Amino acid sequence: MKRLIGPAIALAVIGLLVFVLARAFGNDPHEVPFLLSGKPAPNFKIKRLDTDQEVTLDEFKGRPIVLNFWATWCGPCKMEHPVLEYAWRKYEKDAVFLGIVFEDNEQNTKRFLEENGWSFPQLFDPKSTVAVDYGVSGVPETYFITREGIIQGKVAAPFSHPMQIDERMKGILK
Amino acid sequence: MTLALVVSLILGQGYAPQRQGLDPLEAEKEARVMRLGKQLRCAVCQGVSIADSPASMARAQLDKVRELVAEGKSDDEIYAYFVERYGEWVLLQPTGGGLNTVLWLGPVALLVIGLVVIVAQSRRKAAAGATQQTPTPASGLDSAPAAPAGVPDASPAAAAGAPDATPAVAPPTDDALLAQVRADLEK
Repeated sequence: MKRLIGPAIALAVIGLLVFVLARAFGNDPHEVPFLLSGKPAPNFKIKRLDTDQEVTLDEFKGRPIVLNFWATWCGPCKMEHPVLEYAWRKYEKDAVFLGIVFEDNEQNTKRFLEENGWSFPQLFDPKSTVAVDYGVSGVPETYFITREGIIQGKVAAPFSHPMQIDERMKGILK
Repeated sequence: MTLALVVSLILGQGYAPQRQGLDPLEAEKEARVMRLGKQLRCAVCQGVSIADSPASMARAQLDKVRELVAEGKSDDEIYAYFVERYGEWVLLQPTGGGLNTVLWLGPVALLVIGLVVIVAQSRRKAAAGATQQTPTPASGLDSAPAAPAGVPDASPAAAAGAPDATPAVAPPTDDALLAQVRADLEK
């Protein structure tokens, strides 16, 4: 019995190491965790770029919301802009689309939107603290929020095809 | 995506424009902002704190810390705010609970196990050495000079193949106590 204690301890230590390493190797070290899925979307009060009026998230409760964080200095954001415009035309009756400008200035943003289409409300977040409230880890990121104001999930990559948005819309249009 | 990044870099459009962050707080609070910022990982950098990173994301996160400090939130509340969004990943110094305990206690446990193994091995060796050096009555009463270690025992008992003969290991010559015992027996 005494002879088994040594190997048993060694096995336990090796097993623990394998468990810890397996957990660590199972994750992408570049992926920033996101813990707000399934939780209430944080409210905000920021101004619309077109009307300068303050807008809150609570105003849109009862309707599904697509919230896109983007910037004019971000190439992938510009690439996905037409896809979002297309999606807004398709879903404007069923859902609210909102853009939140991240770490940018009003002048650049207005110029880009006037040249490339300005279909849905664009909100200006001067200190980008709303983005941090939402756990944004880069742009573009698009959040899908249910009628009840719950974050169903986010896509931390640019949309390159409308079908990618269609898939996500199914989840919040129920 | 890569092509878009290359094009945006060539056109000089890949960087966030400089903007004024939140107005710095009074010196003491600003020092606290920087201390807290040093403990929080920038979301778009490689192991750099938000206080040390020039990235726009880090700037936004540091502004959030500034906002929370200005609101009078405690250190724990500010860490909790970030953990709630980014998980414990955001803390540059992991907390001591849960699986992290393994990280903190693992090296200490390994050290203790190593020491236990070393002590156990040393004791085992010492015990084995003592067993080999213990003189038996046959060898102790034998007045014939002992053979040096490694040399076959040439004593009459060994030559006769006596069953109680000791193994061919000579007692050390420098053992004073043994020498004294031998001298006493010879008297």
